This record gives sequence, structure tokens and C-alpha cells, in this order.
Amino acid sequence: MNKAISTRLTFAVAILSLLIFIILWQVIAQQGLLVKNFPGSFKTIGSLIWWVSDPFFDNGPNDLGIGTNLLISLRRVLIGYSLAVLVAVPLGVLMGMSKLAQSSLNPYVQLLKPVSPLAWLPVGLFVFRNSEITGIFVIFITSIWPTLINTAFGVASINPDYLRVSKSLGASKSTTIRRVILPAIMPNILAGMRISMGTAWLVIVAAEMLLGTGIGYFIWNEWNNLSLENIFVAIIIIGFTGFILDQFFGFLQDKFDYSI
Amino acid sequence: MNKKSSKKSSSNENYSHLELFNLGKIFFKEKKFIDFRSKGNRSGFEAIKDINLKIEKNTFVSIIGPSGCGKSTLLNLIAGLQAPTSGKIVIDGQAIKGPGPDRGVIFQNYALMPWLTTIQNIEFALNTVFPAKTKADVKERARKYLRMVGLEKASNKFPKELSGGMKQRVAIARALSINPNMLLMDEPFGALDALTRSYLQDELLSIWRKNKVTVVLITHSIEEALLLSDKIVLMSSGPSAIISEEISVDLERPRDREKIEQDPKYLKIKMRLEKHLLRETRAVEEVT
Repeated sequence: MNKAISTRLTFAVAILSLLIFIILWQVIAQQGLLVKNFPGSFKTIGSLIWWVSDPFFDNGPNDLGIGTNLLISLRRVLIGYSLAVLVAVPLGVLMGMSKLAQSSLNPYVQLLKPVSPLAWLPVGLFVFRNSEITGIFVIFITSIWPTLINTAFGVASINPDYLRVSKSLGASKSTTIRRVILPAIMPNILAGMRISMGTAWLVIVAAEMLLGTGIGYFIWNEWNNLSLENIFVAIIIIGFTGFILDQFFGFLQDKFDYSI
Repeated sequence: MNKKSSKKSSSNENYSHLELFNLGKIFFKEKKFIDFRSKGNRSGFEAIKDINLKIEKNTFVSIIGPSGCGKSTLLNLIAGLQAPTSGKIVIDGQAIKGPGPDRGVIFQNYALMPWLTTIQNIEFALNTVFPAKTKADVKERARKYLRMVGLEKASNKFPKELSGGMKQRVAIARALSINPNMLLMDEPFGALDALTRSYLQDELLSIWRKNKVTVVLITHSIEEALLLSDKIVLMSSGPSAIISEEISVDLERPRDREKIEQDPKYLKIKMRLEKHLLRETRAVEEVT
């Protein structure tokens, strides 16, 4: 099939399925088929337009524009996440290079990785006595494991030829790390960073329900207002933002894919 | 650093350029945690043993043997990439302690860094070996060696955009750019098709004639060894491979790949090599 036609067809199918979804939703809600007072798609779209048309207002912590809340969440994620990457990459390189580091750190990684980061929230509150820092701390814990594990794996499975070239030239350890190992494992680091970002974006919503402000708190707040259509608005915004973040890393991964 | 002194040293001194004394390499199994308390029992795989070999300056030496005989191990030891279990390696009268820029290494799989362009791959080697050189100097020198292997136009291409033969030419340029005394090649043409291989063999010969270097070539191709070498070192089948024979190839240079095959001397050595390889390969295949 012609590529242009096929793209257009895919697009048309997507639009069509969206329309069907919106109509079905509206009908089901209007007829009260699910529960009474369930917001329909028209009402939700109306709310979405209302929130998006003035996203940055600030009438106190319980009445913030959705854009303001989104920025608060993004800020927490970006700070916690960046700190995590700054720790995870060097630590991962160390674990990949040194058997001693691997065997002394791996038990902690394996033990802590499966724990929901939300379990750290009370610990953060107790230690920092500050909800902002606690949010960042929870995101830090969330983001560290995938990047750490991917980095360590990348170093451990690096093509030995690169290392042999470096060694045969008499390169120092620091040159080898900077000029050979780090670029060689860039795809692994980015894959880890992509997973970390995805998880961080999942966790921030839950964490913020307990912390106040941010898009997660927005949901909690609208639940207290019993405004389900606003919760749907938040879900759409969160999904869209997560998608953009993920696409950004997809783009970076393509850039650093040496095989293509 | 010691390169200068070695270049000054004349050939009439009483040692050869490269000397291997009773060289042996045993690969020990990695100790498991549970084994820590059990003493002794250091059994391992002995790849090569009692290797004694002398290689003269600016000669072309091929090492040939059945697969798995430890040829690559031997080359890695000379390159300093692995440490021998016993014996020593002496270059220009000095025992080597590790890898060094006096030896350029060429690997079978080219070992180009895929995130660097052709010229950057060479610049990486130059920057590592000559940290004092300016950027312009490095670029200039990298260009010169790319030109030497006829790839100046591909200088901004990435390895994935090059054919296997082009990649190996870049690797040769990289190895020579650091001005080594010795070129160590581990089956460099093994992964190439026959035509490309012939082309690169001729290319290598002309490069070798122009840049005076000692070449140690690992190969399993009898024809390749005969076409290129001054001396062919035959290794027995592993484990515990030894050098079974050294044959000097006193065929006139430059050698023409078509004419050489009519030479009775060539045919005589070839038959000898074939017999040896067949015998050793049989030893490998029938053991397992």
C-alpha cells in the first residue's frame, strides 16, 4: 500500500475510534448505565476546555490552575529524577566495572527495587519535615533503580573489543570511562532513564495525593469536591504529559542507537 | 617514550626485536565464593606453553595453527592485553609490562567505536597516545593516515556506513597512526569476502613496504601466510599448544599473487603447511 495513503488511513481510523468512544461515553453516562451522575464526555470536554483556557491561575493552594499544578509536579519530578540520574549513572558504572562494588551493592538494589516508593514517604516526612523535599525524595528513590540497573548491565555487557582497543593504546582508566565506556553504554543509560521517567511520572500522582499541591493533589481535591469530570481532565492531562516525556526519551534513544 | 631509544638502537645488537621466552598462559577458572576456603586445586585451562620465538625488526611473521590453538592468546600476550602465566616477552631488550603504543593492534571485528566517525576513531587513538599534540596536529595526522588507506572521503562517515573492508582499513589507519614499531593483527581479514580480502592483503603489503614496521599476523589461511610473510610459525593444536615449526618463506618480493602460485618453492611450503594443519586439525576434531 502507498505509504502516504496508509498514514492517512491510520489517522482516519484513530479519529473515528475517538469519536465512537466519545459518543459511547456520552450515551452511557446520559442513560445512567454505569452509576447515577457519572459525568458524560461532553461535560468532561467542557471542563477540559475551561481548565486549559486559563491554566495558570492561583487562588491559594486548594484552587490552582491545572497548568500551575502540572508545573509543580513536573518540577518535583525533574529535580528528584535528575538527582537520581546523577547518582545512578556513576554508581551503575562502578557496579558494572568492579566486582567488589557489584557484590556489595547488589543486595540492597535487589531488596529495595521491588518496594513501592510510596513506602518511603513517611520516612521522608519524618526526616525532612517538609512535603516539598519529601516529594522530591520519593521521586529520587523511584527513579534511581531502573537507571542504575541498566547502567550497570550496560557496563558489564560492553563489547570487549572497545575496551581492548582502549587498553592497547595505553589509555588511562579515566579516559576509558569518559571516552569509551560512557558513550558505549549511552543506549543502556537512556533506556534506563526512560523507564525511570515513566515510573516517576506514575508515582508523583500518588505521592502528591498525600503531600498537597501538584497534579496528584488536584485529583484528590476534586475527589473531595466530588467533581469526577475534573478528575478525568487531570487524567487526560497526566496521560498527555507522560506521553510527551516518553516520546522525548524515544527521540534521544533513536539519536544514540549506534546500530541503525 | 622508550620508542625513541628503540629506534636508535641498531640492528646489530645481540637481541632480536621481539623475543618470547618460555611463554605460557593458563586460564584459571574464576573462583566461586564457596571455593574460597578450599585451598589448592587451581586447575585451569592451559592455552599455550613453552613458546620461544624470535622475530627480527621489520619482518612479516605469520602465526598459523588450527582453530582454538591459542594463536589469539599469544597475540594478546604480545600486545600486553593479558599477562602471561609464565615466561616473558622482550621487545628491544626490555621485558614488557603491559600494553603500549609501540604496538598497534588490529582486531578481527575491526573494533571501531560506533559513536565516532572514521576520523574521530583515529583521533581517539592519537589523543590517547599523544596527549600533548594540538587539535590541528591530531586532525592533520588522522587525515594523513586515512589518505594512506584511501578513505579520506569517508572521514566523516560512521562505521555503520562503511563496508567490512573499509572498516578494517580504518582500523589499520588507526593502528599505524600512533607510529608503532610493531603491528599485531588478529585474523584481520577473516570476516571479509575473498575479493575484499585479496584487495586488503595487497594494500597491507604496500603499506608495510612504505611504513617500516614489524608485523605479526594471526591467520588460518595458508595462502595468506605464504603471500605475506617472511616467516611462518606453526602452532600445534591446543590445549597446551606449542610452536611446532618455524618456516622461513624465501620467496622473492614483491610477490605477485598469480605468479607466486606457480613457484615450486611456494608449492613445497604450501604442501608442508597443509599437511601440518590437517594433522593438527585432525587431532582437535578427533579428541572431542
